[in-house]
Amino acid sequence: MTGAADDAGMPPGLDELARRLDAIAFEPRASLEAEIAGRMRRREPLKGGPARRPLAHRGAIAAGVLAIALGTAMAARRLAPATVTVDRCCFDLDGGGDADDGVVARVGRDNVVRWLSIYEDADRSGALSRDDIVRYSRDGRPMLREGQPAGLSLHGHCCLDLDGGGLADDGVVVVGLAPDRIVAASVYERER
Amino acid sequence: MTRPLQALPSPPPAGGAPAHAEPLGAWWAEHSGPIYRYLRFRVPDPDTAEDLLAETFVRALGAADRYDPSRGPVRPWLLRIAQNLLRDHLRRQGRRLQVPLARLRDLVHESASPEERLLWEEEVALLTAAVRTLAERDQELVSLRYGSGLSTAEIGELLGLREATVRTRLWRALGRLREVLAR
Repeated sequence: MTGAADDAGMPPGLDELARRLDAIAFEPRASLEAEIAGRMRRREPLKGGPARRPLAHRGAIAAGVLAIALGTAMAARRLAPATVTVDRCCFDLDGGGDADDGVVARVGRDNVVRWLSIYEDADRSGALSRDDIVRYSRDGRPMLREGQPAGLSLHGHCCLDLDGGGLADDGVVVVGLAPDRIVAASVYERER
Repeated sequence: MTRPLQALPSPPPAGGAPAHAEPLGAWWAEHSGPIYRYLRFRVPDPDTAEDLLAETFVRALGAADRYDPSRGPVRPWLLRIAQNLLRDHLRRQGRRLQVPLARLRDLVHESASPEERLLWEEEVALLTAAVRTLAERDQELVSLRYGSGLSTAEIGELLGLREATVRTRLWRALGRLREVLAR
């Protein structure tokens, strides 16, 4: 909220509008600081980039890049690991009220999840580590850990890069039983 | 939170606190709110504003060793990074129609009742949408003043304008905003 000193001398009738604007308050989600710390720790590349080049330049560059890409794509595919493992933290995924849960996803080149774990970041390291508590794990097939107990609730977080594709367009949905049980979890890609 | 359900397969190697942790904590506590509110006045949905805020801090932390406090305070520097990212975003977005979900999930309001909250949400949606119909220069002034809470003198420093000029332009922008709201 801004002070009123700067509004001294404001033309009549505008002060009410200024007061209404001044009363507006937004806050980012609580987990954002931890996510930034995680990105810095993992040295993830910056998003975005310089302004786009003119169309003619882009066409010439694209042709060159395409030729190189076609040649290297096959080799890269042979050399790339079959799966990529991504660790994202910290969110409230179990309904316990604290943003202290992380998700580890092992994803194949076909973007299919091979393994999914939800853990509690017990040592507040911002990543899966020895002292953390794994609440749920599954392989490629979605499954319920146990029957269907009463009091289930749905939690989720979007959007992160969970498939290692470089875009923060994936979300995780968790069926939990507060305060700390998780019975199912799934990863999805948001349509842009 | 109780006992583990299962043992970990392979814990990653332990490491010390990262070098960026200290500036992130201090800068985040002091500047994330004003910069987020500035961005939020300029973009219609919290997801985009949060992406831009995160990118602002990642870039700032990446260049933290080059930041020279003697050349000025941190907030205007962070705001300049945010302004550049916002400009790039708006240029990329062009005329693409976006219909954001959960438009005001990030609105802070100590409402006595859900009805009051709803009324305030409607008013904020109206006000911020009206701000975004203004010319780029007017949007920038209103967002810096009432979003990030900068004084007119600070805005003048940031934009390279005299304080009196900032006031005059800001009040004209408010006048135009009032006209938009009256339609």
